Amino acid sequence: MDDDCSMACCGVTQRRNVSDLFDRGLRRSRQAPLAIQGETHRDANGFTASFSLAAHGGVLGKIGFKASTCVTLVAYCELIAELTAGQDIAQAARLSPSDLVAELPNVPALKRDRAPLAIAAFRDALAAASTLSNQSTQGEHYEGRLHLRHAAP
Amino acid sequence: MKVAYIFATQRHNISYVLAKMILPQLEENRHGVDVVGMFFFEDNNYVLVDGNPIGARLAKVAKEKGMLLMGCDQCCYEREIADKLFAGVPIGCFPDLYKALSGNMPDQVITL
Repeated sequence: MDDDCSMACCGVTQRRNVSDLFDRGLRRSRQAPLAIQGETHRDANGFTASFSLAAHGGVLGKIGFKASTCVTLVAYCELIAELTAGQDIAQAARLSPSDLVAELPNVPALKRDRAPLAIAAFRDALAAASTLSNQSTQGEHYEGRLHLRHAAP
Repeated sequence: MKVAYIFATQRHNISYVLAKMILPQLEENRHGVDVVGMFFFEDNNYVLVDGNPIGARLAKVAKEKGMLLMGCDQCCYEREIADKLFAGVPIGCFPDLYKALSGNMPDQVITL
């Protein structure tokens, strides 16, 4: 993540597993929302997630999120933030729930339903970023946001 | 009376209190109460790892008596055993525990 690590683990290569992603994700989720904010998504279990972004020239900068304190959900959200930082919006929108599941194979099957929630919330923020970006160049009737909301699963 | 056990402390808790007191009593149907669930924190989750001999006895009793076994999800992820537990043993947090117990609520929750 962007901020320097202040934990005792400094100097150790960051690991991309659920436990470490959760630790980093908790810190990220406590930061103030960024300028471009997606809507809050809620799943059937009552879990919620929302993302906020900073983007310049169609490229993602900082990524933030707020999520229910479920270890798996926070880890998936943090994984999204780490995987897509620096990507352009279209590239980031291709990240799918199955990509998240594949990246963290030790998540039990019963917990994998958090991945679609995280991706849906992320794509909403991407759509907001895309809309803002394209409104400035193509006017207010640009419909690219619709395509991002319905990106491939 | 129905009870649920939360194994929160470590040291001798699993190897002695569970393995030499509670579990044998459950196996012999003389524990005195119905145990509807057990929830495990921290290193206590290792008993739920598939192949653990105490856990195997526990899983057998749980299956026979319809008893919930659940590991703390964060504890299991931290120990990288979340996908290594006995078949059918879920991981979760308090909301998951309460939801799982809601159909068979204990009268007492005992923290060990």
